[in-house]
Amino acid sequence: MEFVSPEGLRLDGRRPMEMRQIRAEIGAVAKADGSAVFEMGNTKVIAAVYGPREVQNRTQQINDQALVRCEYSMANFSTGDRMRKPKGDRRSTEISLVIRQTMEACILTHLMPRSQIDIFVQVLQADGGTRSACINAATLALADAGIPMRDLVTSCSSGYLNSTPLLDLNYVEDSAGGPDVTVGFLPKVDKVTLLQMDSKLPIDIFENVMQLAIEGCKAIANYIREIMLENTKQLEYRRGI
Amino acid sequence: MVGLSLGEKHFIQGGIAQDIRSDGRKRLTYRPINVETGVIPQANGSARIRMGATDVISTVKAELGKPISLQPDKGKVSIYVDCSPTAAPMFEGRGGEELSTELSVALQRSLLGGKSGAGAGIDLSSLVVVEGKICWDLYIDCLVVCSDGNLLDALGAAIKAALSNTGIPRVQVAAGASGDEQPEVDISDEEFLQFDTSDIPVIVTLTKVGRHYIVDATTEEESQMSSAISISVNRKGHICGLTKRGGAGLDPSIVLDMISVAKHVSEQLINKLDSEIAAAEAGDDES
Repeated sequence: MEFVSPEGLRLDGRRPMEMRQIRAEIGAVAKADGSAVFEMGNTKVIAAVYGPREVQNRTQQINDQALVRCEYSMANFSTGDRMRKPKGDRRSTEISLVIRQTMEACILTHLMPRSQIDIFVQVLQADGGTRSACINAATLALADAGIPMRDLVTSCSSGYLNSTPLLDLNYVEDSAGGPDVTVGFLPKVDKVTLLQMDSKLPIDIFENVMQLAIEGCKAIANYIREIMLENTKQLEYRRGI
Repeated sequence: MVGLSLGEKHFIQGGIAQDIRSDGRKRLTYRPINVETGVIPQANGSARIRMGATDVISTVKAELGKPISLQPDKGKVSIYVDCSPTAAPMFEGRGGEELSTELSVALQRSLLGGKSGAGAGIDLSSLVVVEGKICWDLYIDCLVVCSDGNLLDALGAAIKAALSNTGIPRVQVAAGASGDEQPEVDISDEEFLQFDTSDIPVIVTLTKVGRHYIVDATTEEESQMSSAISISVNRKGHICGLTKRGGAGLDPSIVLDMISVAKHVSEQLINKLDSEIAAAEAGDDES
């Protein structure tokens, strides 16, 4: 199948290095301590953060840092074909773990000993790149909850199809069987915190593909900053400062 | 879980007794209802309803299936509710399953009528394509995104809105199939049929706190309830389903009184909901 046309356009009309339309909104879940919606094209996720609060299960309490927990769930209607999967299948367990580890790496857990932070991500629409969208939503939700972080971790994926590196794969491109590189990146300290790839790639091409994903992460980080700034201005305005 | 102090409990109970609740509403006033339709493009129809902090999404997906042999002239509709952990940490893992099932069953009872399919809010015979062979199966999936009480009413309203937003593709049946053969069908992707949703009932939950009952209770108010009755009423004022929750017993005369109040309240709710749905649909068409 042809994923990049001779004119250099992808199936959904994007250029190889073009990201899908991104949109973010802070404060989608009124009852949570922090929450956000993040959309990348047709992929749409909600993240809610509860905490820092008392540890629910005493045996899990850590005396010198906060306990970070994460649960990833997909709505029944999120995929094209309706499915009814039991909760906690292997795929969601793995993504929960990935998100937890990525977020844990950037939260200043040592400042909140003997407490617990819960991150819940809910996929409303899945069209490839849910992992990245979840991490971006979780970052915004954590920032909304006022949890101290080293940096705003952002994530983006990239792939390699028809000998072209492609940024931000959608579902069709993702299921094409080519390599899919997901990167989590701390833009300020310039460090990669998450890196996953399936399939195979020559090293020199991998370098390009990863660099492309990192550029995507940087672009998302800029956007997230804008959204947060806008949100802060709104808060300031409501307070009447 | 709601952690309330003794003073807060007294404040909520006292407010309800004096007909002015913590958020300034009267006992029989709803919170403002915000309706958004077409929020999930992959589904045949979808809607998001917000009442205060309560936030639910409902979607309708239609698939072609075979009618069950006992009712060859009726389609199938099933309702599933899922409580997302984003709504409350309590719903993490399997924690939301009990509430999800309770809500699914209550919704099915209120909106779909009995086992025979009689008394359903949707005309099930309109879902049949070829009698005894092909029908539409409607899967109604609801997701609780944020919970601040009165989930059942919100879910009922969301389903009504989602069904109003639903377009079922027109189906052409290939002629010539005979006997036991499964006829071939051609699904149109341009022509859509709309449902008649005017008969779908709304659900009104009356929550009894102290000697009085209130509509549209928040989580804090629900924690103080002794019992609650959810009554589904359609436009004609007929009672379509009834569920009682909560431990305390109710005097039969009070139950009848609550039903008549619910019937009265439902008239306003149906009108308000219909105008909100119409406004949301109009806005959806423009964009």
